[in-house]
Amino acid sequence: MRYILRQAALTFASFAFLYVLIGGLSYLVFPDPSHGGPRDFQVAERTLFMTVPKYVFLGRSVLDTPDSKVLIVGASNTAVGFIQKLIQPKLACAKVSNLAMGGANISEVAQVIDLVRETQSRPSAAPNTFVIGVWYGMFADSDIRFADPDRNRGESDLDIEKYRYGFYRRTANGPVAVLPSKWLDAGVMAIRPLLLVEKAAREARTGVNLLLTGRRSAQRTEVEREAAVMSEQDKKKALEYWQESMGFKRGISETQFNLLSSTVASLLDSGERVVLVDLPIPSWHRDASPYQLGYEQKLQELSGQFKERSNFISISMGDLDGDLDYSDEVHAKRHLANIWSDRLAGILSSFACREKTNKPKVSSRAPEQATAASSDH
Amino acid sequence: MSLTSPLFFAFLAGVILAYHISESVPYRRLVLGFGNAIFIASYLTDYIQILPLLAFLLLGYACVSILSVWKSSLALGLAVLGVLACYVFLKRFSFFDDLGRLPFPYLTIGLSYILFRILHIMVDVHSGDLEERIGPTAFFRYTCNFLCFVSGPIQRYQDFRAADGIAVVKLDADTVFRAFSRVVAGYAKFVIIAAVAEYAFSFLKPQLFQAGDPSFARLCMLYAAAASLYTVYLYYNFSGYMDIVLGSGVLLGQALPENFDKPFSARSFLEFWQRWHMTLSQWFKFYLFNPLVMLLMSCFPAPALTAYLGVFAFFVTFLVMGVWHGTTAVFVVYGLLMGAGASINKLWQVACAERLGKKRYRTMTETLGYVYFARGVTISYFVLALTCLWTPELSDFTRLIGRLGPAGISAAFAGIAFAFGLFWWLADRVAPRLTAPAFLATARDSLVGRNLTLASQMMVIVAVTALLHKSPDFVYKAF
Repeated sequence: MRYILRQAALTFASFAFLYVLIGGLSYLVFPDPSHGGPRDFQVAERTLFMTVPKYVFLGRSVLDTPDSKVLIVGASNTAVGFIQKLIQPKLACAKVSNLAMGGANISEVAQVIDLVRETQSRPSAAPNTFVIGVWYGMFADSDIRFADPDRNRGESDLDIEKYRYGFYRRTANGPVAVLPSKWLDAGVMAIRPLLLVEKAAREARTGVNLLLTGRRSAQRTEVEREAAVMSEQDKKKALEYWQESMGFKRGISETQFNLLSSTVASLLDSGERVVLVDLPIPSWHRDASPYQLGYEQKLQELSGQFKERSNFISISMGDLDGDLDYSDEVHAKRHLANIWSDRLAGILSSFACREKTNKPKVSSRAPEQATAASSDH
Repeated sequence: MSLTSPLFFAFLAGVILAYHISESVPYRRLVLGFGNAIFIASYLTDYIQILPLLAFLLLGYACVSILSVWKSSLALGLAVLGVLACYVFLKRFSFFDDLGRLPFPYLTIGLSYILFRILHIMVDVHSGDLEERIGPTAFFRYTCNFLCFVSGPIQRYQDFRAADGIAVVKLDADTVFRAFSRVVAGYAKFVIIAAVAEYAFSFLKPQLFQAGDPSFARLCMLYAAAASLYTVYLYYNFSGYMDIVLGSGVLLGQALPENFDKPFSARSFLEFWQRWHMTLSQWFKFYLFNPLVMLLMSCFPAPALTAYLGVFAFFVTFLVMGVWHGTTAVFVVYGLLMGAGASINKLWQVACAERLGKKRYRTMTETLGYVYFARGVTISYFVLALTCLWTPELSDFTRLIGRLGPAGISAAFAGIAFAFGLFWWLADRVAPRLTAPAFLATARDSLVGRNLTLASQMMVIVAVTALLHKSPDFVYKAF
């Protein structure tokens, strides 16, 4: 027995020593990124957190500040289309964070919003302006969207992050918090050694990629995206892909739409501002997709539902639909992303930066129109 | 209770501590008995789920008790048939769907290995190899030993009894460290190598079934890669599990039998099965192959036929062993492939020995080219046969085979054989040169060095578990 206890103590002490050592090293290599106010979550790759979902989940406590905040949520086209670095300088009244995640559906967007609000104390939550970027591809149910072989069916990237370090536990009714959100930073501190080892593993993989293929990853660079032109074959494949990904032959998920509606209602009821952005897609895609029409009708209904609320505005950028401005069927090229960002910044400066008014907002096509609509009332 | 769950660690630590509190044999047996009960109970969500397993154990115990007083072949035959029928019913083999099934979900984990243990006791009691009267608690501790419950190893009752509540392994600092190291190495195999291989396999497999018209070369390479990755996953998952079980066994004073002995270095299919899942192979050798050969020899006593009777017995034994692995029709194909592999291997040995003479045949098998060729072919055959395990539905299996065609399967076979042969040729040349400098070896083997090495492995295990996020499951649990 004493040999077992002695060895258990030795093993535990060695593990604890190594753990603390690597934890300390993580502070040297990546000084605590969880402080310093709102930030661009799209630069996750350069941080200890590595991916946007992990960064949002573990690093969201930076959003618990009394400043006015613009929080951009949505899927990958929101991530590449609304560039924080371009929007922030034009918005003196608020701190901008882009929390959009690749592959997100409405459920995951709602999860992001819930996680942010869960972390914020009430005085911090009030000055939130949520910019929700949507397009038809986000209205697929989680069982269809998140069905990769390496995950439990229906679990989003955020769910995976919730379970990964035991901060949440899996139940029949979904994730249940094990670690209260007020302890989030302490929890993150405790897992820093693991994050650093993971980071090292990812960097090693990147190194191998670089060695074997001359590229850091399979993802296209901005220069490559800028030069990309979709062939007819690419377009056909893209349409087939979305046919497979949506789960319905024609319509979009009613459940996802209802969820968007209840999420927006909940934000508005608690006094937060919401900007709902109908994101454009290239015209060939918009015209050929069997989902677009139903999506537009539903979105109009939803905008109509909230149009009398002074803290709500919906905008459409449907005029920015030039086929050659997109690197694929969804993602804006950099030059177009600059326009998207400018346009959003213009709308936000008149919406998020104003004092509370009782005047409702209606949908607009461009910032000039949005401003005009505002001044009409 | 998953092997990778914190609950299992807490349970294991609790049982080990409780076991060593006293050296009293009855006390230790009580601890092990309770440990087994708690371990099995952890799989249940409702008490009713345990009833079929209890009924199976009761039937087995009743048969053993009857055989210990009535040692007739008829009684043994009836008992074996009864236990097998009960097993087939509870295991829900798809070929016996007409038998019906129980109208509620119940525990089937561990059933296969309990069957092996019960059959072994019955045969040994009948033959007189086991004369001791087995009590119900000893029967429970043997058939449901929590360390071997899910997937073995299949220990003989005689060996179990010698260590039942008695520490047969003398614990000292070095033995305990090696046991800890083995457990950690097992987890490293389980959650790093096997999980990464499974991760890669799970991305390749769907591509084999995707609609479209991939090129012949791409399809063959995809298939060869997926099949090889599955084999790596299966081996490291299972042998990692065994390391955890055997290392934990040492901490409980038990010397459980080994189940693997470098199977991928085997030079023939028959040698492979002497190195892979060894306790299962030995069980089938003792309780199916040997009796079958004896029976055949008594029916066909001509000495010239002896070798060929062996070929037939190998076919039957491996067929049954293959079919045991699953409950669908594909596993019959797997059994046939196993049977064909073993019998063709035996035929080859017989034919070569007859044609070349035993000495020249042995010389030939020692030549460099033959060694690596034989290793490559052996592994390649096994890798391809395992396709049945990852396409358990016959429709998927036939679709895949149809898509590959004879040319695709042959190309994949040749590619895998060449890759494994080459790998071993390189490994045998490089491995002996990989020795650490003396000062590093000294530092590594010091008390601090070896414990830090152990802790580093644990650190990587925890990090990779977090990175892959989906807890790996033990693959043989399903068999």
